[in-house]
Amino acid sequence: MVNDTQNIHSPVGENTIRVDAREKVTGAAIYADDIQFGNSLLYARIKRSPHPHALIKNINSEKALALPGVKAIVTGADFSGHIGLYLKDRFFFCRDRVRYVGDPVVGLAAVSEEIAEKALDLIDVEYEVLEPVLDPEYGATPEAPLLHPDLGEYAVANFIFPQPGTNISNHFKIRKGDVENTWSKCSAIVERKYRIPHIQHVPIEPHIAVAKVDESGDITLWGSSQSPFAQRNLIAQSLGISQSKMRVIAPYVGGGFGCKAGVSMESLAVAIATKVKGRPVKLLLTREEEFHTAFVRQGLVAYFKIGCDEKGQLLAMENTFYWDGGAYTEYGVNITRASGYSSSGPYVVPNVKTDSYCIYTNHPVGGAMRGFGMPEMHAGLEQCIDELALKIGMDAVEFRKLNCLKTGSILVTGSKMHATGLPECIKKAAEAIGWGKKSPPSAPNKRSGKGLALMWKAPAMPPNAGSSAWVELAEDGTVNVGVGGQEIGQGVFTVAAQMAASALGVPFESVRIATPVDTRYSPYEWQTVASRLTWSMGNAISNAAKDARRQILDTVAEAWGETPEDLNIVNGVVISFKSEKEIPLKNLVIYGLPKAGDKGWRGGPVVGRGNFMPTFVTGLDPETGQGERAVVHYTTGAQAVELEVDLETGRVDILKCVSAFDVGKAINPELVRAQMEGGFIQGMSSALFESIQLKNGIMQNPSFVDYRIATSSDVPIEMQSIIVEVPQEDGPWGARGIGEHSMVPTIPAIANAIYDAVGVRFDGPPFTAEKVYLAMLDTGIVKG
Amino acid sequence: MSLNPHPALPEFEYIRLATLAETSDFLASHANEARPFMGGTDVFVRMRDGFLSPKFLVDVKNLNGTNDIHFDPKTGLTIGAAVNMNRVAAFPEVRRYYPVLAQACQSVASYQLRTRATIAGNICNASPAGDTIGACLVLDGVLHIHGTDGLRQESLANFFRGPGKTTLKPGDVVTAIHFSIPPEDCQGVYLKLGRNKLSDLSIVGVTALAHPDSRFLSGYRFRLALASVAPIPLIVEAVETSLGNQAITLEALREAAGLPSEACTPIDDVRSSARYRKQMVKNLSTKALTAVWVKLRK
Amino acid sequence: MAFHKINITVNGDLEQVVVPSNMTLMRLLRESLSLTGTKNGCSAGECGACTVLMNGEPVNSCMVLAVECDGSSIITVEGLAKDKRLDPIQEAMIQEGGVQCGFCTPGILMSSRALLDHNPNPNDEEIRQALVGNLCRCTGYVRIFESVKKAAKKQKITT
Repeated sequence: MVNDTQNIHSPVGENTIRVDAREKVTGAAIYADDIQFGNSLLYARIKRSPHPHALIKNINSEKALALPGVKAIVTGADFSGHIGLYLKDRFFFCRDRVRYVGDPVVGLAAVSEEIAEKALDLIDVEYEVLEPVLDPEYGATPEAPLLHPDLGEYAVANFIFPQPGTNISNHFKIRKGDVENTWSKCSAIVERKYRIPHIQHVPIEPHIAVAKVDESGDITLWGSSQSPFAQRNLIAQSLGISQSKMRVIAPYVGGGFGCKAGVSMESLAVAIATKVKGRPVKLLLTREEEFHTAFVRQGLVAYFKIGCDEKGQLLAMENTFYWDGGAYTEYGVNITRASGYSSSGPYVVPNVKTDSYCIYTNHPVGGAMRGFGMPEMHAGLEQCIDELALKIGMDAVEFRKLNCLKTGSILVTGSKMHATGLPECIKKAAEAIGWGKKSPPSAPNKRSGKGLALMWKAPAMPPNAGSSAWVELAEDGTVNVGVGGQEIGQGVFTVAAQMAASALGVPFESVRIATPVDTRYSPYEWQTVASRLTWSMGNAISNAAKDARRQILDTVAEAWGETPEDLNIVNGVVISFKSEKEIPLKNLVIYGLPKAGDKGWRGGPVVGRGNFMPTFVTGLDPETGQGERAVVHYTTGAQAVELEVDLETGRVDILKCVSAFDVGKAINPELVRAQMEGGFIQGMSSALFESIQLKNGIMQNPSFVDYRIATSSDVPIEMQSIIVEVPQEDGPWGARGIGEHSMVPTIPAIANAIYDAVGVRFDGPPFTAEKVYLAMLDTGIVKG
Repeated sequence: MSLNPHPALPEFEYIRLATLAETSDFLASHANEARPFMGGTDVFVRMRDGFLSPKFLVDVKNLNGTNDIHFDPKTGLTIGAAVNMNRVAAFPEVRRYYPVLAQACQSVASYQLRTRATIAGNICNASPAGDTIGACLVLDGVLHIHGTDGLRQESLANFFRGPGKTTLKPGDVVTAIHFSIPPEDCQGVYLKLGRNKLSDLSIVGVTALAHPDSRFLSGYRFRLALASVAPIPLIVEAVETSLGNQAITLEALREAAGLPSEACTPIDDVRSSARYRKQMVKNLSTKALTAVWVKLRK
Repeated sequence: MAFHKINITVNGDLEQVVVPSNMTLMRLLRESLSLTGTKNGCSAGECGACTVLMNGEPVNSCMVLAVECDGSSIITVEGLAKDKRLDPIQEAMIQEGGVQCGFCTPGILMSSRALLDHNPNPNDEEIRQALVGNLCRCTGYVRIFESVKKAAKKQKITT
């Protein structure tokens, strides 16, 4: 519910300064590698598989263990528990075989980095190389080697459907209407295949974990983490210990984008630490190790077939997705599902047949990356939409306006669309980019073009992913808010403070967020993913603040002989509408208020608590993908770009971009716009520069030198970010998420603009200068 | 190897000696174990990756004259080997008399990397992608080298032997690079194509230089050098010949611009394909030759 | 491996430290001097997160040996503020929203500080060029540019 405390000065909706900005600009902000652990710190290194697929025949660590300064060596033999978020398909360290280049085989800890490194070289691992699976379509065939023979025995969430005996770890289906018999009714059909390469998150802070196991077996894990509570849960389960014996402390995160969600390398540090009781063990990935071994965004081979009638109304879609999930798909299986239930795009399509497969390959492990399958899927779909519009003779924007979701539309899952501002987003984005007007190119060797794309995305999470929060006050009336969500740059600590201040009735400046998140003291939060915190954690904070407010007003009402309904808290002062009496919060939040006649005190320390669970989500039929309420909500939006293509080099220059997203309510408009800007640039980077070049399962470009990301020189001259607000019914103040969405439509918006400029399309990004130039050469647009 | 590069630099001994003589002697007597370094931006990276493991790194900055940059109106420009690229690019006489050198310097990596990077280092590293090498070639740079036999000079023209290979011998330390006074009305340009707009290595680099020269039939001497499309940085002599022997028209320039792609041997690698590189050599050569011609005519 | 005694001034304080040959300036700052504001993003001179000022000029401290810094003056992000008063570039970065995860921020601040020291009124192109060696994955750079422009304006007023 929208929270309205009739506050005269509510920070919600204001552009308050970030609560963490000063710390960060002075160098005072602590990240995991900045924590001082003292002389007892040990340094971990991991011996990793050089093969994409092989059996482990023998591991000889004798010489390494004998090296002075080496304190522990562990292998898969030491840890038999499976681990995984939605599907427990891996071990801490490989036990019988390795499944990707970089798969951890041996872990060690030593008193110095140099000794750890020397020890690594002294470990011998014998492999029997096996034939690898390097393509998801091939991986789905019976001829392909079986990568997980035990697939049938893995514990799995009840909304994921692995197919034992194959490499398919999830198969999500949509069977809606009657696609087969609708094609004949279509006036135009577009059929396309796309190959979306693997890319990676590339946070500027590499992965890091420090683990310490004390004498009693209690584990403390420090790390750069989006999921302290999930890490506690999954690692404890895998070790067969109580969650109460595991504590995760998570300071600021230097960029996540999903790669620090779930459990990845943290389990390695914990595993090694169990062998050196009492000493912290630090594992910091080198940048190269980060490229080779951290989560990737899985590749996708996507087939689309879409058709419309003579008026341009979409009639049918048949989509098949082969997700290159990598060696372990414990996280990736849900991307397969999410893309399945979103496979129509933000459109009304009465007949849809979708098969979304997650396939094991001997490629790096696919995890969650900003957009969670949506960028990869929209990359192809939104180009098909453009092509279909062209075929039927309609303007691409008009086509979308005709077919896009509106409030109440029936969705691909049979659910109903909640209130949405998508039509407004389309209209505003098109207007702001000057749709329909062709700009003259800036030079004779340039061609200009405009393109637009839509998106939708729901938080992809279990139906019971919860948030909680507490609110307490200090003697001076300042407020301390406990949260379990992480500040990964998105600004959540700031909006948390804004929401707490508004819900309680105190000035923004008097609110502090209790950091760092520490599972021993912080309240539970499922994960910092899915663009869910503002909405979910926000509701929990609002509930906690309202609980604190109720305690305060109950105490004051009793003391004044009034009713709580006659009271309010404004700017940290309790006031009565009735009697006009006032009392500052600081006068009562710790010690309470005295009773008359020296007969004791009432009230006492105020501690507000609140939680929030997703408002009901129903399951989806495993055969049809239909259900009453597939997800909690969708954020929708549109992006439009204007660009120029250089005919001499093929280089694509983005001149202007416009983003318009319906965020329900912008708790902090500037922070929302900052997400739109950052997301666009990351999307642009994936459209123009990025790909993990895999050859025989080995990444060929594992450094900044050859994995190019957008630099300051690549930023468009003009970026416009438009906030549309159609309130989310169950969002705090009407808010829903924005963090991921601004990266989703970028690839197709750019692809559509390139087509507008020079008339070429590609089967997948990145649209490098080379790719564009050679395409223009091959189609005769330029001469060699 | 690159799956587990060193997190830090591997162990080595840092050596800094007081004089050029001592330095050359040390390098020569530890020929297989010692390596000179200036900015270190290439050496440190390769050591971390495990491609180099010298026992000694010999700091050759701060040796006699290596920190000075000096212009003499009679003899020309002398850039000490240790002078970083930012200093070179900002030096007034470089901007006035050798602007293509400033342009080439400024195209390298980033400002903070250029605080350490040196032209001499770029040359000694002998990467075919070296951004400043083309300018040094077309400006007929001469290296001042101190070896176990004392000081000598070597023209850049025959200095490069292969990727990463030069004529330098153990004990050799480059102390400076010298450029004579450029001819009247000299115009140059360095066009670099990377994957990003700025800061990348070059996929293709084209340096073009031209000036009036009565020794040539056309009245002009054109020079063109290529980066990243051959095992060594390459001067394309055919361009000079072609544009020296005919009247300079846009057509002649375009025709001459087709010669570098025939002269070069680009490869397919993780950065680009041979096919694209060949096309870009042609397009960038056209652009570069036209640009210097237009500047000349002003 | 040999150790070297060096005198190095860091944020105005003279430090006398003994360093091994292979220690980088970045590690000297972060580990020996506990100045963890300077960040380790790649150790290869590519990302710029470790940028500090060495004798007034920005360098990737991961590409400088500590022993080379004998006699040098280093400024890190911790040395930008004077007596608790933030540098204009720090103030501007806060006001304009140029900080998100903050990991690239110290390096960005040092590069920006050096730019403004050399060029008090940089245009857009000059700002982009000066920052091209500082990778940011969060902000999309736009607000960082705005921060530099705002700091330039603010400095003009106060000088």
